[in-house]
Amino acid sequence: MKVKALRMNYGLRLFLVSILLILIGVCFLTQGGALAQPIVLGVPISRGYPDGVDAERGITLAVEEINAKGGVNVAGKMRPLKLEISDTRDLEPGVPVAEALVAVERLIIEKKANFIIGGPIRSEAALAAMDVLSKHKTVSILSAGVLSPAYHKRIAENYDKYKYCFRTTGSVIPMIGGAVNTFESIRAKKGFDKVFIMVQDVAHARAAGTSLKEGLEKKGWKVLGYEVYPTGTTDFSVGLSKAKEGQAQYLIPWFDMPEVSILMKQWYDMKVPALPIGYIHALQDEGTWKATEGKVAYSVVLYAKAGSVATKAIPLSEGFVAAHKKKYGMEPRSEWTSTSYTVVYILKDAIERAKAVDPEAIISALEKTDLMGTYGRVRFDHKSHQIIENGDPKETAVGMWAQWIDGKRVIVFPNKIATRSLELPPWMK
Amino acid sequence: MHILIFGLVNSVILALLASGFALVYGVSRLANFAHGALYILVGFSTWLFLNRVGINYIGSIVLSILIVSIIGGAIYRFLLIRVKGMPDSEIIASLSIGIAIMELFRWRGFISEAYMLPPFIKGSVNLLGVMIDWQRLLIIGVGLAIMVSLWLFTHHTKVGLSLRAIAQDKHASMMSGIEPDRTAVIALAMGSALAGISAVVILPLGNITVETGYMVLINAIAVCIVGGLGSWAGVFAGALLLGFSQILATALLGPHWQMVVVLLFIIITLIIKPSGLLGRQKELEERV
Repeated sequence: MKVKALRMNYGLRLFLVSILLILIGVCFLTQGGALAQPIVLGVPISRGYPDGVDAERGITLAVEEINAKGGVNVAGKMRPLKLEISDTRDLEPGVPVAEALVAVERLIIEKKANFIIGGPIRSEAALAAMDVLSKHKTVSILSAGVLSPAYHKRIAENYDKYKYCFRTTGSVIPMIGGAVNTFESIRAKKGFDKVFIMVQDVAHARAAGTSLKEGLEKKGWKVLGYEVYPTGTTDFSVGLSKAKEGQAQYLIPWFDMPEVSILMKQWYDMKVPALPIGYIHALQDEGTWKATEGKVAYSVVLYAKAGSVATKAIPLSEGFVAAHKKKYGMEPRSEWTSTSYTVVYILKDAIERAKAVDPEAIISALEKTDLMGTYGRVRFDHKSHQIIENGDPKETAVGMWAQWIDGKRVIVFPNKIATRSLELPPWMK
Repeated sequence: MHILIFGLVNSVILALLASGFALVYGVSRLANFAHGALYILVGFSTWLFLNRVGINYIGSIVLSILIVSIIGGAIYRFLLIRVKGMPDSEIIASLSIGIAIMELFRWRGFISEAYMLPPFIKGSVNLLGVMIDWQRLLIIGVGLAIMVSLWLFTHHTKVGLSLRAIAQDKHASMMSGIEPDRTAVIALAMGSALAGISAVVILPLGNITVETGYMVLINAIAVCIVGGLGSWAGVFAGALLLGFSQILATALLGPHWQMVVVLLFIIITLIIKPSGLLGRQKELEERV
């Protein structure tokens, strides 16, 4: 009898434990359900290319920082950020636009992205994606590539349709304006005025090349040559010979393809006495000096936006570069890491001010954006959703010109953030 | 003079890129579409041995070429042998292997612009009024040395003669005791080694990227189509024609014409003489 009672007792205890476990499970699940719903950030980028990786690193770093502090405050409720990254492959030669569009739409439909940030990176793909974003009423902020002026022109011309699109990378138009001013400043100091322009056969580079040619010619510069190279070109000897024979004093390359390193090596080996100064994307990487054994010395490289090289003039750039170095073991490789890092903070700021994630509220909040980023003060033009930029980081976003001196990238323009003045190579003095 | 010197450099580069592809096809009648992948494989592995493992430059190069030769032979012995005699399947299989190798590097993060190999000889020289780096002159030397070595090898060694025998008449060679599969393994290994040698002399001019593999394959096929498959002289003639045309087109019409002239020559060749300038494939059918 006693044994039977014990057995019952044992059965009862087993039953009670089971009930308890179920209750704990229910509580856990209920708790899980009560967890704040994440804000999904869709990131369509070309992951197989340095630009895509650079952008991904910047975004990931910012998201981790924000989530570590509890997430984004949406009307008093802290919501974490969740990244959904999709490979667009749009940086491949031939620019497979269709694949990029599929990637963007997949992020919106399948991954339920609240916002699209980062890319697509190639202008051709980003321009095509505008209709997809408009169709799904999804707010997007570009933070890598896409320097074509057509992007913000299209928004300004058809605001109601394309109001969902914002861009922080900038357009070649203000970049060219800044570049012409930079060249004028150099001419005033050094007195040279003969240039040879070499550009890549992609939308932003062609637009930059023609604008630069017109801008410089208007100011009285002698443009000795203007050549367009297909993506993937591996020999630049003919163009360099022309520059040398014409006695060009500045070589203005505008390339984002990795093969531009061949141009720089050929320039060095052929001893072309013209200073390379332009948008030479492959030379932005801090590893370039070692990889080229110093053949990039004196080259001046334009960054569409500052921030990837620390400067005291923009305090946030110092913290960002240090955080990047700590996480990835190297300084940011290109401007897109800086822009992509800041874009997450721009969105966080807009969501917190809008107290919502619905597109209309976010568009309105983004148009009123006014915060300091890693490349200066961030504000958008209300009509074109183009970031406002000039040469003073306290007033606007700024790009920068960095020169390779003694294995380091030193900022030489604009003057407000410069850490050193431009140095001419010995053969030009 | 500039066009002459850089045209020659460009032509030798094209000949080097196509030599491995032409050797494999000439012997085994197999179009190795993994050729470009094997080229960058040597580039990346040399970089890794040099910068990560700490082996000296020459050691890294020798090791990489040895590895790629073994991989090339293994590709035939374990994969392509199974689809032998089915040209479509051979192309699909070799292209798949090539894409797998190239995309493996992309997947593993080999996508920085900083993957570069150092030149063998630093500095430049003034050659008849044209400044040119020693590495480009070395390429000309290596290219010519390879062409001469291959001729000597295929005409004066037992293995080389067996390669030629298989290429000329497979059945008669088999009756003489030459084993075709063994010969094909040797051809693939040698073709891969040639891709590797090309890589280590050409890649120091720029950087190593995954896309380079695709471009190498396209250039190799273009040279072989224009010059003629199965002919060493054809490879060299095709490379000279395309190399000089590219430089001339760049100088006279603009850089964006350099790929257009290549495509133009391919179309003209296929219309007028599909076997190529000096090719022997289908020559009889063309006459008929």
